[in-house]
Amino acid sequence: MRCLVTGGSASGKSEYAENFAVELSRGGPLYYIATMEPYGEEADRRISRHRRLREAKGFQTIECYRDIHQALAFTPDPARSTGSAADAEDGSVAPTVLLECLSNLLANEMYAGSALKEEPEALAQRIFRQIQELDQRCSHLVIVTNEIFSDGHRYPPETEAYIQSLGLLNTMLGAWTDQVCEVVCSIPVLLKTAAAAAAFGKGEERCQF
Amino acid sequence: MHLYIGGKAQGKRAYVEMAEGGGADIISDYQEVIRRQLRQGQDPIECLRKLLSEKPDVVIICDEVGYGVVPIEKEERDFREAVGRTMCEAAQAARTVVRIVCGIGQRIK
Repeated sequence: MRCLVTGGSASGKSEYAENFAVELSRGGPLYYIATMEPYGEEADRRISRHRRLREAKGFQTIECYRDIHQALAFTPDPARSTGSAADAEDGSVAPTVLLECLSNLLANEMYAGSALKEEPEALAQRIFRQIQELDQRCSHLVIVTNEIFSDGHRYPPETEAYIQSLGLLNTMLGAWTDQVCEVVCSIPVLLKTAAAAAAFGKGEERCQF
Repeated sequence: MHLYIGGKAQGKRAYVEMAEGGGADIISDYQEVIRRQLRQGQDPIECLRKLLSEKPDVVIICDEVGYGVVPIEKEERDFREAVGRTMCEAAQAARTVVRIVCGIGQRIK
């Protein structure tokens, strides 16, 4: 199953996404892909807060700041690992992966690394394809993104390009994933549900339209 | 406690007055309460817990402030963070949570 979790800042979306990924994994391998590059005290504080939340939930953390399709390149081959959740058809165990979060990943791809100046659409397309490639190694993929689109400000071109890219990426992922959930003040509001969601006991329909 | 949230100018106050009736103890613009607490060096979550222990039936109205680009100014970032975390706490404690968009309330808890 693929799930997109969105929400505003400090909405509790990380904690929700973590708990959801834990449920999906059903005791099988569980990876957390951290995209936030440590830079200064505030980031350290956020990172340690997130790390505390993940403690004892069984996540193995992988730091990957860009080129997300390679994030699982150095993990054990799923076919050789052992576990209780045999989701793949051949009986091997592919991991449940939580990717957090797209806003950092996009910023890293845009502002650091290569000096390549990609158009917002090309950049979003590339990251989308890389996420799809990542997904091929996952039994479940939960992706955390961010709502940054509603402050009414007009920003310099570079920031506007970033907003465009993230919005585009969110819409592509919204179409591609099985379930889309917005977390509002720690409460999950389902925007898109799948039949698969019901199988995991998460099928309560909250949409009013 | 009943919690009502939503963006600026979404008709929250009018909605709440209609939904809660005349006698309710309403605190609106709770984000400004949080802003003041931060400036006075208080912990907004602790203040909220104290408020709820004193007034368990209070009605809180608060703007949603976390739907924009991360602000450059640290004070603004801290404000958004504090409002977000405090409202998570409030929503967990609330009997009902209603989100108001275009004057329409959607009950999410």
